[in-house]
Amino acid sequence: MSGNKHQYAFFLGCIAPNRYPGIEAAAIQTSKNVGIDLLPLKGASCCPAPGAFGSIDLNVWYAMAARNVVLAEQMKMDIALICNGCYKSIYEVNHKLKHNDELRDGVNEVLKEIDMEFKGTADVWHLAELYYDPKIVGVKKLADSVKRPLAGAKIAVHYGCHLMKPGKERHFGDTENPMWMEELVAALGAEPVQYRNKMQCCGAGGGVRGYDLAHALDITNEKLINMQEVGVDAVTEVCPFCQLQFDRGQIEIKEKFGAEYGIPVLHYNELLGLAQGMSPDELALDLHAISVEPFLKKIL
Amino acid sequence: MAEVKKYEEPRIGVFVCHCGTNIAGSIDVKAVMEYARTLPNVIVADDYQYMCSTPGQNKIAEAISEQKLTGVVVAACSPRLHEPTFRNATKAGGLNPFRFEMANIREQNSWVHMHQPEEATSKAKDAVRIAVAKASLLEDLIPKSVPVEKAAMVVGGGVGGMQAALDLANAGIKTYLVEKTPSIGGRMSQLDKTFPTLDCSQCILTPKMVDVYRHEGIELLTYTEVEAVEGYIGNFDVTLRKKARGVITPAEAEARGIVGGGCTGCGDCATVCPVIKPNPFELGMAPRKAIYIYHPQVSPLIYTVDFDACVKCGLCVEACDTKQAVDLEAKDEFMTVKVGTVILALGYDIFPIEKKFEWGYKNYDNVITSLEFERLICASGPTGGHLIRPSDGATPKRVAFVLCAGSRDNTGVGKPYCSRFCCMYSLKHAHQIIEKIPGVVPYIFYMDIRSFGKMYEEFYYRIQDEGAKFIRGRVANITQDPVTKNLHVNAEDTLLGRPIDMEVDMVVLAAAIEPTAETEKTRRLFGVSCSQDGWLLEAHPKLNPCGTTTAGVYLAGVCQGPKDIPDTVAQAEGAASAASIPIHRGEVELEPYFAVCMEDKCAGCGLCVNQCPYQALALVEKEGRTVMQVTEAKCKGCGTCGGFCPGGAIWMQHFATPQIIAQIDAFLLGGEQ
Amino acid sequence: MAVKKDYKDQKLAEKLRDRKYYIPDSNPEFIKDVEKIGQTAAHMCYQCGTCTGSCPSAPRSSYRIRLFMRKAILGLEEEILTDPDLWLCTTCYSCTDRCPRDLAPTDAIMAMRNLAFKRDIVPRNFLQTVQLIYKTGHGVPNNDANRAARKRLGLEAEPETTHKYPEYLPGIRRILDHYRLKENADRILAEGE
Ligand SMILES: Cc1cc2nc3c(=O)[nH]c(=O)nc-3n(C[C@H](O)[C@H](O)[C@H](O)COP(=O)(O)OP(=O)(O)OC[C@H]3O[C@@H](n4cnc5c(N)ncnc54)[C@H](O)[C@@H]3O)c2cc1C
Ligand code: SF4
Ligand code: SF4
Ligand code: SF4
Ligand code: SF4
Repeated sequence: MSGNKHQYAFFLGCIAPNRYPGIEAAAIQTSKNVGIDLLPLKGASCCPAPGAFGSIDLNVWYAMAARNVVLAEQMKMDIALICNGCYKSIYEVNHKLKHNDELRDGVNEVLKEIDMEFKGTADVWHLAELYYDPKIVGVKKLADSVKRPLAGAKIAVHYGCHLMKPGKERHFGDTENPMWMEELVAALGAEPVQYRNKMQCCGAGGGVRGYDLAHALDITNEKLINMQEVGVDAVTEVCPFCQLQFDRGQIEIKEKFGAEYGIPVLHYNELLGLAQGMSPDELALDLHAISVEPFLKKIL
Repeated sequence: MAEVKKYEEPRIGVFVCHCGTNIAGSIDVKAVMEYARTLPNVIVADDYQYMCSTPGQNKIAEAISEQKLTGVVVAACSPRLHEPTFRNATKAGGLNPFRFEMANIREQNSWVHMHQPEEATSKAKDAVRIAVAKASLLEDLIPKSVPVEKAAMVVGGGVGGMQAALDLANAGIKTYLVEKTPSIGGRMSQLDKTFPTLDCSQCILTPKMVDVYRHEGIELLTYTEVEAVEGYIGNFDVTLRKKARGVITPAEAEARGIVGGGCTGCGDCATVCPVIKPNPFELGMAPRKAIYIYHPQVSPLIYTVDFDACVKCGLCVEACDTKQAVDLEAKDEFMTVKVGTVILALGYDIFPIEKKFEWGYKNYDNVITSLEFERLICASGPTGGHLIRPSDGATPKRVAFVLCAGSRDNTGVGKPYCSRFCCMYSLKHAHQIIEKIPGVVPYIFYMDIRSFGKMYEEFYYRIQDEGAKFIRGRVANITQDPVTKNLHVNAEDTLLGRPIDMEVDMVVLAAAIEPTAETEKTRRLFGVSCSQDGWLLEAHPKLNPCGTTTAGVYLAGVCQGPKDIPDTVAQAEGAASAASIPIHRGEVELEPYFAVCMEDKCAGCGLCVNQCPYQALALVEKEGRTVMQVTEAKCKGCGTCGGFCPGGAIWMQHFATPQIIAQIDAFLLGGEQ
Repeated sequence: MAVKKDYKDQKLAEKLRDRKYYIPDSNPEFIKDVEKIGQTAAHMCYQCGTCTGSCPSAPRSSYRIRLFMRKAILGLEEEILTDPDLWLCTTCYSCTDRCPRDLAPTDAIMAMRNLAFKRDIVPRNFLQTVQLIYKTGHGVPNNDANRAARKRLGLEAEPETTHKYPEYLPGIRRILDHYRLKENADRILAEGE
């Protein structure tokens, strides 16, 4: 361990470690480079998936998410994570339980059965917001960590819904036309580009990807059209589930609708890794469904 | 236990009101009345359907004379409503009216505990017991009469303030009209036409502005703000700050001995002035110089120097030449005037609608507010009356109007109330573009069309007939085409049940209105309350809509709540009438709730003097001793000094320490001695 | 109550079915349940349509979030819970962010889905996720190809989760069993076979 000043319990979720392990590897390495140590949160589970679990029984969702938070409480650490879906579950349940005694009592009744108690002592952060926060990292330090600027790359930002909304229970300010992630992209030397309806959903959430794939893909397709309209070299996001939807989704869209885009999809940590000098191999970019090669050609 | 003054043996009568079913519906009135009979000092207790009715009042008067009562308690509604009624009844029975005490068992009890009859009844008993305890210790008090200054002040020179000032002056009352900007006229002078008659706003307003300017009874003080207020009804001392205008009037020139000098409004100064600033009257869409008038019809027609922008080059001084009107060294001046009554007509501002990010105001060029629309469509406005797209100057052919933009909004960003005139002016706007732009289509996105006034629904009918398209749905968001700068308006047509993506050339946001930034400060100076939403609070929403809870201060126009011009003018006339009554009567009675110094106990320490927020206290020499003295007319009876005096030497009339302690005891001890 | 027309011709009976709204068709408790589970004052909806206008699912389907709010207020429980559109919300929260009445239509939808589940109405994919988590702790579990990729990156084959520490699984199962979630998922999936 490098002994950086800022240490967090690293909540992995499912899709990053089990489908895009490069994101996990990148998050640990790139964070260390900017002064953040991510420590294993042993025994964590699925956040659990807010769409599936929230739809079936919100009480189970509260209890399962609370269990993950308690693991961090026991480490006396705040949680950092890399997925918007996880953010929705872990951040929001933590927030709700801290502010609603009735909910908290209900959850603790269940947790008692496994000798756990939610105390409300931990905070939950998305790594992206820690990167943006000048008290932790800040755009400047991020830019300083860049060894290989992504110069000339036009990158569309997809914020993803559950990071930003509902805005009232978050702290990101403008949820209609935010620009802070564009600043994160610009810090890597790339050019963030604006496209129509950028805050629209990727289409996957709420269980819709599983329930009605064509419907979900049609939403994704609309976003891809809007990105293609302005011409982008890649789209970046901070949610492996959105990544899955954009990345594998483009293959599915081709199969189902016949439309082809070939827009590489990169988690911000993957981008950051490339900019800090990690090789495509160290990021397992070959696991992506849509080839990242054209993008790599542009920047390498 | 505080020491109690010596009184005659108290004999109290208690009267419990049913108020129809308002009280009796949840409180067992008979039980409360029976309970009152068991209380110490209570000689008689009674109940009645409506205590405020003539038979109800007669019961009080008769009981006083028959039972030789020394105090009266009525358990009924709020003292705000009927304290005067029952004081009169007490007086009619031959007692001093301040021997009366009221227990509120309606607003603070039956109405809020509608579904808890037992608890409500028990709470009513507590209230009666507390009131009896106080009534047993009440003393005779004599109200003071003070003369009323035969002058009035109107703050705010919009159409509301102008109307009020004209009415007061026409009624023979000297009136000061204080306006913070360089010209009177307010928002109405920014409007093009007015619904539902479509008369030209300036055409109907300028004659009034001229009347105000010319009226001998009105002293017009533009570019002036209220700095401090002292006193009370009949005798307000208002300190005004006349902001440095940098230009003097012919009258001021004459006073300085400059013959034939002073500003004539020729504008030679502005021609040479090198500094260019956005003109706030045109909402920044047209320039003005550092020495400026807002628009040609200003009243008074005197230029003003914007000292924040002025570079003191002196070119204007030269240009003005022998008129010597420009004084670049001018300083703010202060003056104090005495008035008997005051009307606040502070108007409103537009809510900063860019805070509703979803509509992209200030982010997208072709999204404008309705007030900007008024300037663009106005022949004397920055484009000569041509509605154009800010992005490219083209004439829009498809225009969307977004109603309830920030109104009827409970999110915390926006206003929960209806802004009340945006439906109507948006109809007007639709008409104006249909009239001016061939082939244009106005799309009005609305939730409800509120056309409640006289001839308003007919106006709605007319605009629909002229071709405006109505879409029942609130606009969800707006996106901009990056190339054409056209706008996509997203909403649901809730009547079709179908989402809409409408590409238009221009969007007009009917932005909510809100109290002006200075309203808060001004209302505090005059001791006026505001309601939750920030608008100034009337004394009673139905029965006293022009008055405030501060005697002698009245309200006119939008500062009391959103209203259009007809309603503003009507309220202004009401306020002027109300404000003239004390002046014509010549004197007012003050409630005798003064602090009284009990000189034998006063140590003359003087610590209370600085505590008083109204500067009502002073130390004086009396019979060789230093004691405190109260200027009764200044004392508001707030009790700060009474609670503070370390020696307990201050007696707060009607709220004296023993009276209050008796009330607390009565409550805490539950009637046990 | 809707007029029952016992027409012999089934097709005609359906075609001419009484479509009026009658008070007895509604369950007044329904909106209260929705509000309690969803923690939002759904009865304050004033039908402005901002939600539908914001909804990414609306333009490509018959799903109208505003209509669900309307029907909930009217207590049209049956109609809501059996409507396949109920499951088309992506939970993007655009409607919640913009609702001028400060409601959370998304959470109202979640509440209605919870109520549907109580009546065994739920798409199969939701239940499969439950089974996977019960088994592995993950909704999207690890697989061999991924294990190989992890090793290539210098990561351990199993992430530091229940995958590496299966001793945490009993606790997770205990929570799910507390709500009898696995049992219900298995049963509903089996019945649907
Ligand atoms: C776009 C738009 C279109 C409209 N169209 C119509 C229409 O067609 N028909 C219609 O009937 N109504 C219309 N209205 C409404 C109309 O503007 C108001 O009803 C009217 O202006 C109210 O007048 P007022 O005197 O109360 O306030 P204002 O016009 O706001 O006047 C207030 C005055 O007080 C001054 N002031 C404020 N605070 C102080 C202070 N502390 N000290 C000194 N002075 C102060 C201000 O400078 C201002 O001059 C429209 C409004 C808008 C926004
Ligand atoms: S200040 Fe002098 S120059 Fe300017 S308008 Fe007045 S008179 Fe004319
Ligand atoms: S007047 Fe009309 S547009 Fe304005 S807030 Fe009221 S309903 Fe909305
Ligand atoms: S946005 Fe809110 S108030 Fe408007 S229809 Fe939807 S839920 Fe109802
Ligand atoms: S949260 Fe659901 S209902 Fe609301 S806008 Fe998104 S998809 Fe539509």
